[in-house]
Amino acid sequence: MTDTIRALLTSRSVWIALVVLVVLSTLPWVVSAYILGVLTIAYYFGVFAMSWDLLFGFANEVNFGPSFLIGSGAYAAGLLNAHGVPMWVCLIAGGAAALLGGVVLAVPALRLTGPYFGLTTLVAVLLLQQFIIIFASSTGGEIGLTMNDILSTEAITNYWYALGFMTVCGAVLFALSRSPVGLILQASGQDRIGASALGFNVVKHKLAAFCISAVFSGLAGAMMVFYLGTASVGTVVDVSVGVQVIIAAVLGGRRTIVGAAIGSIFLILAGEALRPLGQLSTFVVSGVALLVILFFVDGLMGLLLRRREEP
Amino acid sequence: MLTVQILIDGFAISALYGLGAVGFTLMFGVCGVLNLAHGATMVVAAVTAWVVAGQYAANPWVAAVAGTAAGVLTAFATYFLVVRPIERSSSVPAAEREIFVLTGTLLWGIMIQEAVAYFYTDNPKTVRPLIAGIMQIGGVRTPINELVIAVICWAVIGLLWLLVNRSKAGKVLLAASINPRALSILGFELSRVYLLVWTIYGVLAGIAGVLLATFLGASSAQSSQLTASAFSIVVLGGLGSVYGSLLAAYVVGYLETLTAYLISPTYRTVPALVLLVLVVYVRPHGLLGRR
Amino acid sequence: MACFLAGAAQADPKEPIKIGVISEESAIPGAGISKGARLAVDTINAAGGIDGRKLEIVQYDDHSQAADAVRAFQRAVSQDKVVAVIGTYISEIALALQPWAARSHVPFITTGAASNEISKHIHDDYDKNKYTFHEFMASRFIADSVCDSIKQALQPHYSIKTAVVFSEDAAWTAPLDAEYLECLPKIGVKVLDHVRFSADTGDFTPLFNKIEGQRPDVIVTGISHVGVQPTVQWAQQQVPVPMIGYSGQATSGTFWNDTNGAAAGIVTFSVAAAGAELTAKTQPFVNDYIKHFGDAPVLTGFTTYDAVSVLAEAIKRAGSTDGDQLVAALEKTDYIGTVGRVQFYGRDNDFTHAMKYGPEFVTGTMLQWQNGKQVILWPRAAPQTKISFPAFTHLQRP
Repeated sequence: MTDTIRALLTSRSVWIALVVLVVLSTLPWVVSAYILGVLTIAYYFGVFAMSWDLLFGFANEVNFGPSFLIGSGAYAAGLLNAHGVPMWVCLIAGGAAALLGGVVLAVPALRLTGPYFGLTTLVAVLLLQQFIIIFASSTGGEIGLTMNDILSTEAITNYWYALGFMTVCGAVLFALSRSPVGLILQASGQDRIGASALGFNVVKHKLAAFCISAVFSGLAGAMMVFYLGTASVGTVVDVSVGVQVIIAAVLGGRRTIVGAAIGSIFLILAGEALRPLGQLSTFVVSGVALLVILFFVDGLMGLLLRRREEP
Repeated sequence: MLTVQILIDGFAISALYGLGAVGFTLMFGVCGVLNLAHGATMVVAAVTAWVVAGQYAANPWVAAVAGTAAGVLTAFATYFLVVRPIERSSSVPAAEREIFVLTGTLLWGIMIQEAVAYFYTDNPKTVRPLIAGIMQIGGVRTPINELVIAVICWAVIGLLWLLVNRSKAGKVLLAASINPRALSILGFELSRVYLLVWTIYGVLAGIAGVLLATFLGASSAQSSQLTASAFSIVVLGGLGSVYGSLLAAYVVGYLETLTAYLISPTYRTVPALVLLVLVVYVRPHGLLGRR
Repeated sequence: MACFLAGAAQADPKEPIKIGVISEESAIPGAGISKGARLAVDTINAAGGIDGRKLEIVQYDDHSQAADAVRAFQRAVSQDKVVAVIGTYISEIALALQPWAARSHVPFITTGAASNEISKHIHDDYDKNKYTFHEFMASRFIADSVCDSIKQALQPHYSIKTAVVFSEDAAWTAPLDAEYLECLPKIGVKVLDHVRFSADTGDFTPLFNKIEGQRPDVIVTGISHVGVQPTVQWAQQQVPVPMIGYSGQATSGTFWNDTNGAAAGIVTFSVAAAGAELTAKTQPFVNDYIKHFGDAPVLTGFTTYDAVSVLAEAIKRAGSTDGDQLVAALEKTDYIGTVGRVQFYGRDNDFTHAMKYGPEFVTGTMLQWQNGKQVILWPRAAPQTKISFPAFTHLQRP
């Protein structure tokens, strides 16, 4: 435990994160409700991206369908709420549903490597989407599901909920990634044989990684739909959501956890800033992300951390 | 009557799926690239054919050639602007190269899709059938175009087979798909091989896109659906196996057609997806896959 | 609620009045919204604006996503300070924006969405939802218009006794189909089947086959998200049953080219169209639009053009841009637009704030594509008008 705490206190990433958090906490007094709304979405995306990054760091596999986990959590919560179940119960149920989804996904995935894993995760998303559309009469289909409850009608309250949620999730995920067990897992993700030779049950730990990633994704998905007031395929299940999550994590810096959150905030703010471009905003954001992949492989955190290491 | 209808419709659509899938699987088999900009490439070909036919009042065959050329150009753009730079980049760790290429082609595909929508809207584009009119087959009224599509798809696949099995370039391709390192040790320029594959891919995807425009119509909004469809088929058949892709294309094509006719068009995609799930759980390397 | 109130700005008299327009730019009906709005604003400004103040449009593309539309609405209201929002042709999006109009007390006029739910919500919870106005024909009235036009324009010339209803599975078609099932039997047409297909269907062959097997006289359509594909496939397969009803895409001036002529014979409802001469303003607007944009307007162009003028008049009438006062002023609308005489139903009617339907108000029009042109069949066809269905269809004389 003390090892973990020591690791956290000396980590540069933690200090960067703290600085960013302090700045973000001052915003409700400075910016308009509209910008707070945009950031609220960005924070939930931050949790999506951090969960994805954890899976990537541990399993060393790219999950192309994070929206399967996000969507499972979101829709489970939404459907229950539409039938009158109280919000807090729905949130827990959302996390649980995503956990179940994570386990279901893990079973074939853990036997596969490389492109097959990625394809399996992508297929999972397509299946969920089809499922929701075909049973449109219960799920609202492409139209979406309107929730009975909503977190709050006040932009500032919603902002605090989201920021708080992101901070707590981020702290837990980051601590996990830097704990001794976490570091060993990271190594085993990159050298499976070596890790097994050292006696670690790689499969069991990869499964754990899946489950953690799933719970956080699902919970964040549920929180987000309670913020928006609607759950729709386009906001929590579509492949494009997953793509945005991956872009955010890569943009921020893979395997840093903190980077994923920063990447999400940057991406969503940039998307809004480009709104005047109208139709072309998606084009430009994708273009920028492509350039990052080509030239700034280690993302924003890579730039920040590397600079500090220079004497 | 219904049986003949199903047989004919299923055949045409399967042939079209097959052509797209073969290109996709060839790209993976030889170059190791899963081109997620596949659907967007097909759409570019379709829209180009539409533009040439409309703006320049060209006949459908000329438009088809223009569309195919656009497909090849897009394939080259994908290779030179996205895939090659990533593969040659020194800052990407070797183990993650595949993932970066995948993400890169995904983003590139989105860019193409948005660009097409910006200039031409996401309304589906159609091209006049290559040969118009209908004919009666076994008592079923069938557009001649459907037969033309099936014939063209199989002719192209046949030419591809000849190329791979009977020409020197083809043998090099085959070897590259089995063991690229050995090939380069023997002195063959791998980059030339890759260029050949991307050209073939561009032709296949281009023709598939143009034919789609004459048959069902194509819109930029369908780009990801087309990509998803192609790789579902390819995974089912076995990544890298051309025969597998063809077999899977027909399995999926007929499953979809049967479902659409006998159950309901709404559930059209379900059996194929369920089959895909089963395959991934039970036999992840696909029906005829070899890795 | 406090954060989203758009205050009654006692603004500098020289400041332009901002109107937010939210549309789907990459879809044809969506692009029509922004074009219609722009033309209206240019026209009004050229005539001096509103009491000397110019109008200004702030344009937002929602990429056909409800979440994007909601964010655009929030930005429009709290950042760009618009006095009202006009837009969207997608019912799902209009329904998603309705509660935000309520929360921000900003008028929202939808000029392309059709779902009955839009005005039903206003009727059911007036105080909350009164900020929304439905300046497009509600699905129920579209169906009525189709039935009326079949009876008055087609049945005198053709034997139309049976039909299959063919619509996409979307929010706006449920009430449309329900009304079809009511009004068609009233004009002597028996409904043999009711086919609803997923809006992302690409291959319509099995559907046409099924319909053909039942041998109806006509196919009555309710499609908007799809249009080009089913039409092209219908023509290629030479399905012997004509398609009439409502095909949103077929109302666009570009439809003939989009389908390479497969549109020949397609009959569709439209709110207004070139040659319809619904009012004295209809044709001049069409000519103006063609001059500016090159193509004839799609139906959302007409309604949005009118909506901007309706809004401008309301601002003048209210003498302010305050949300609540604008709502009261909008309710008093009595405006001769390009689509007809625009008045809104009141609280006592089920369709609160929807446009009144009727020969004295707005009826829509029925047109048929012939030789690259939209030919008006109803309510007033030009003297030498002939109805012409493709040779492969088998409609009989009565």
